[in-house]
Amino acid sequence: MSEPAVETPFSDRASAALRDRFLQEALGIATTKFIGLRRESFDGFPQGDALRDQARSIKEATLERLDEHLTRLADNVEAAGGHVHWADTAQEAREIILRLCRDKGVRMAVKSKSMATEEIELNEALERAGVTPVETDLGEYIIQLAHEKPSHIIAPAIHKTKAQVAELISQVAQAPLAADAEVLTAAARVQLREKFLQADMGITGANFAVAETGTVVLVTNEGNGRMVTSLPRIHVAVMGIDKVIPSMTDLAVFLAILARSATGQKLSVYTTFVRGPRRSTELEGPDELHLILMDNGRSGQIAGPLREALYCLRCGACLNVCPVYRQIGGHAYGHTYPGPIGILLTAMLNGTESVKELAHASSLCGACKDVCPVRIDIPRMLIELRQHIGEEKVAPRTERVVFRVFRRLAMSPAAFALSARIGRLLQRPFARAGRLRRLPLFLGRWTDARDLPPVAARTFRERWKDLR
Amino acid sequence: MATRAQFLARIKAEVAKSSGAFPASSAARPARPLEAAIAIRRQMAERWPEALDRFRAEFEKVAGVFHRVSTSAEVPGAVIAIARDKSAREVVAWDPASLGLDLGPPLAASGLPVRAAAPDDTSETARRRHRDEAARADVGVTGVDVALAETGTLILLSGAGRPRSTSLLPATHVAVFDRRHLVESLEQVGVLLEAVHADPRATSGAMINFITGPSRTADIELTLTRGVHGPKEVHAIFVDEPLGSEDWS
Repeated sequence: MSEPAVETPFSDRASAALRDRFLQEALGIATTKFIGLRRESFDGFPQGDALRDQARSIKEATLERLDEHLTRLADNVEAAGGHVHWADTAQEAREIILRLCRDKGVRMAVKSKSMATEEIELNEALERAGVTPVETDLGEYIIQLAHEKPSHIIAPAIHKTKAQVAELISQVAQAPLAADAEVLTAAARVQLREKFLQADMGITGANFAVAETGTVVLVTNEGNGRMVTSLPRIHVAVMGIDKVIPSMTDLAVFLAILARSATGQKLSVYTTFVRGPRRSTELEGPDELHLILMDNGRSGQIAGPLREALYCLRCGACLNVCPVYRQIGGHAYGHTYPGPIGILLTAMLNGTESVKELAHASSLCGACKDVCPVRIDIPRMLIELRQHIGEEKVAPRTERVVFRVFRRLAMSPAAFALSARIGRLLQRPFARAGRLRRLPLFLGRWTDARDLPPVAARTFRERWKDLR
Repeated sequence: MATRAQFLARIKAEVAKSSGAFPASSAARPARPLEAAIAIRRQMAERWPEALDRFRAEFEKVAGVFHRVSTSAEVPGAVIAIARDKSAREVVAWDPASLGLDLGPPLAASGLPVRAAAPDDTSETARRRHRDEAARADVGVTGVDVALAETGTLILLSGAGRPRSTSLLPATHVAVFDRRHLVESLEQVGVLLEAVHADPRATSGAMINFITGPSRTADIELTLTRGVHGPKEVHAIFVDEPLGSEDWS
């Protein structure tokens, strides 16, 4: 709830994104590629549908006893030698980490990609406290160097060209590097390897936390999640309470569908299970493990209208298929979580007022619901949000007047028939090849973006009279 | 700051308000995980050849390099060939008991020093020395606890003599396994994971890693690039004759 209000209106942010030609091209290529990879992966996986149903019912059942699962998780993390912290708000989560940094003399923290730490704006807080946060996922590293925010849940830097990336990584290398993915990745490997070995603290999120065993599970492709949980002397994991699942058997169900939904892989390269700090028999691993269980508005939806959003696995599949996301990208949403699910999560974390405009940034086509690995009914919740917020306040005055007039006409058969006849006369100068492509005055706001079918030469009601 | 009691009380109150419309049980867990794991092992004792074919196909799809040798005596030769190919100067390896064979003498004879993780010394000095060695090594050799055919995945448990970084810091990871490690499906892995956690002996370490091919990223203009943080290459050496390593189940 600490997120600052976004200043520019959504329509301006969206327009800016639509004018950005590189962004348009990058978004088109990236989202199309992810859609194809996901589809191929599920096409060759007949049990996928049943697993998605099962995954959904596990989430439903887990929420029914969330307090018990969290209790078990905390007990088992502590039994494995870890520490558990409870954070009601983003601010409390930040304070817990800052206090740990102060008490343990932490100067540098390496991070693996985590939406939870984006949500609490941890990097800014660490910097203010004199601790250097280093993002180690390559995409996150790039946007940290550029002082930007992630634009996609799983591909945070898709909006950057390789020339822009070359400039950023060359600055760190203090030598000009070629704008080539291979060269730049190799350079980043060297730059970040040093940080992994020097850092005092590793900070991660959690893709899952298994209550029965007290295990934090991280899913990554690069291996940075393994580095930050193996090399620094302290590991801090920050997770929303929605990430807990009961057992290892449940975990196997989620692992089978998560990577397929996100990148079309059968499994991501690394799935890392962390159960407490380094054991006495081990040569490596942190001396201390701290798990922060964060609420930050989530518990209010356990019995609330946005309950289903608590099932989200953060795979990003709904972003790729969303006709709005595909046009405007992640930044235009103006909050930590972009895309269709992002609108719901933003409403959950920051209140419904914060999505007054965003609730309308959807065509309600339902593609998001179709690809969601746990079948979250995003369109239904968006419609409910719109009802809750009230259309009146959002639509421009002229639009509201037009619809109010239409409502009157549609409620009286005589007025409706008359208006069809008048409309037929008035549309004459504008109808071309069976379409109204451009209308004058405020009506042009409609035809700027789409055509309008003209009133038919003979309406159905008129034909019905003859047919009888 | 929130206390555990307040935090959980609030969640409990919210849970009480919710519909209760959903069944309160999740995926069906094996009632006796250790016995279920033994049953899987027994099935796989017969079905391993098919699982090996599938493993190889999937492992190669994720850019893994597959090798097959008849006896454990041939493993050092295979490791030396990989190391030469990579112009490696130093090798780091799991402790011989965890690996199921001793690479030290044959590799040393070929001029390749092997730093094996000593299982009994976890002093600060030993830990620092090990980290330097692992960070410097060009090749890391590990065993495997489960080889998952469906996805071409190597599953490694950390513990005494089995450091986490052997399969992470060196640019080339070589994993050695045999028929006892093969399973077919992620569902079977779910059962084995239940068994591992039901057996206190099996979890001497705090970490388990699933490894499905070399480290990769596509964060720069979606260009697939390997070895961003972890290994650039992953090799799996299958040994026909079972290794001398201990089983965890």
